[in-house]
Formats: sequence, structure tokens, C-alpha cells
Amino acid sequence: MTNSKMDKYTAGFGLSVAVTSLLNAILLLVKETNPALMNAMKAAMGHHWTTHGTMVLVLFVLLGFVFSATKFAEKWDSGKMVWLIVFASIIGSVAIAGFFLPNLPFAGGGMK
Amino acid sequence: MFVQGMMFSHVMFGVLGILCAVALFTDTLNACESNLERIKKLSMAVAVFLVLSYLIGGYWYVVFYGAERDIIKAGQWAWAHAFFMEVKEHVFFVPLMLGIYAPIVAYRNDVCRDAGARKLLLTISALTVLFGLFMEGAGGIISKGLSIGLMGR
Repeated sequence: MTNSKMDKYTAGFGLSVAVTSLLNAILLLVKETNPALMNAMKAAMGHHWTTHGTMVLVLFVLLGFVFSATKFAEKWDSGKMVWLIVFASIIGSVAIAGFFLPNLPFAGGGMK
Repeated sequence: MFVQGMMFSHVMFGVLGILCAVALFTDTLNACESNLERIKKLSMAVAVFLVLSYLIGGYWYVVFYGAERDIIKAGQWAWAHAFFMEVKEHVFFVPLMLGIYAPIVAYRNDVCRDAGARKLLLTISALTVLFGLFMEGAGGIISKGLSIGLMGR
């Protein structure tokens, strides 16, 4: 069993997963607090979520190829990539859940 | 029946994605020459099932969910939409990207001999399972929120 050098697409798209997971959360926070952006996203594709999803997936693919074309793979190893993906996916998701947390009953939200 | 069929397919493909991610995790734990092809096929299955779940669920959400959302928001479990649906629809992109990333790792690396790539694939499949279970649980609560909303009418 060895720890060989990272493949360029594994490194590039791994970094893209991490970066896009965080950008997904940032886009959510910005659109929910900025009515102008929310309306623009609704107008763009008929529903803000459709536009949100398209932006996230296009960014994921685009950044994946961009990072794959750089020398990034030479500087990183799989161990670092594992932690980057774990932290980015959890931080991004917790940020989204945290934003909507006040809507839960124990926080006073949605009570009748 | 079309709407019910879409909802059934969305959940079914999501569950199949989770099951394939579990199988991928266990196969990757025991990665060797004899199961390398199965690991590649399972990683591709995870990606395909999650993308199908996204496309079908997304279409249903955009076209049909609005009326149900209004019922949930008017009911006792308004937070089923205000928290669980809001979180579910946005966090979903994380396991979707992880699912698409899985075949890139499986096909571009030798997970039998490369311990690093193996650890990476194990992490991706484990995260996909955990996020997937949250999606299923959240979906159940949203459905219950709709039932509660209808009971109050």
C-alpha cells in the first residue's frame, strides 16, 4: 500500500467540491438577505433555487477543470484533501442550518 | 399519478444512491484487484442515482411544491418548511457534488494500492451516506408537516 502523488483531476475536483460547498453557503446567505439578488435569481430562471443550483453546479465543473489545469496536485496529498473536503462540507452545511435555525420551534420560529 | 410517481422516483433514487454509497464504502474498505471494477461501477451508480434524484426532485419542487408549502406554512409544523425544506434544498448540493466526485476518484486512481486515494473514497462515500440520511429524515418531517397542515383545515 502506497501514498502516490495525487492525480490532477482528483486534486482539482476535490478542491472544487470544498470551495463550491462554501460558496453554496455564501450564495444562500447573500440571496436570503438581499432581496434584489433574490429577485434577480428568480427572474433569471423562473425560480431562485433553479438559478442557485445551476450556478453551484456550473461553478463546480468550471473550478474543477481550472484547478486541474494548475500545479495544485503537486502541492497536495490525499490526506490534506480528505480534511479539506470534510471541513468545507460540514462548515458549509452548518452555516446553512445555522441561518435557518431561528425558524425552529425551540427558537420561537413556526409556533402557532 | 404523475406527481406521486415523481415523488416516489425522487425518494427511490435518493435511497438507491445512499445504498450504493454504503456498498462503495464497504467495498473500498476491502479494495483489491477482484473488486476494483465493482468499486468503479458503484461510484458511477452513486453519481447517476444522486443526479436523477436531484433532477426529478428539483422539477417536483419547482413545479408542484408551492401549493404544499402554503399548507405546511399555515399549519402547526410551519418549521417543517421554514427549517427542514430550506436546509434540505440548499445542503443537497454538497452530497450531489460528493456523489459526482466519487467516480473521478475511483476511475482516476488505483484504490487497491494507493492508501491515500482509498481514504479519500472512503471519506466521500461516508459523507454521502450521512448527508443522504439527513435528506431522508428531513423529507419525512416535511411530509409530516404537510399532514399536520391538512389536519388543521
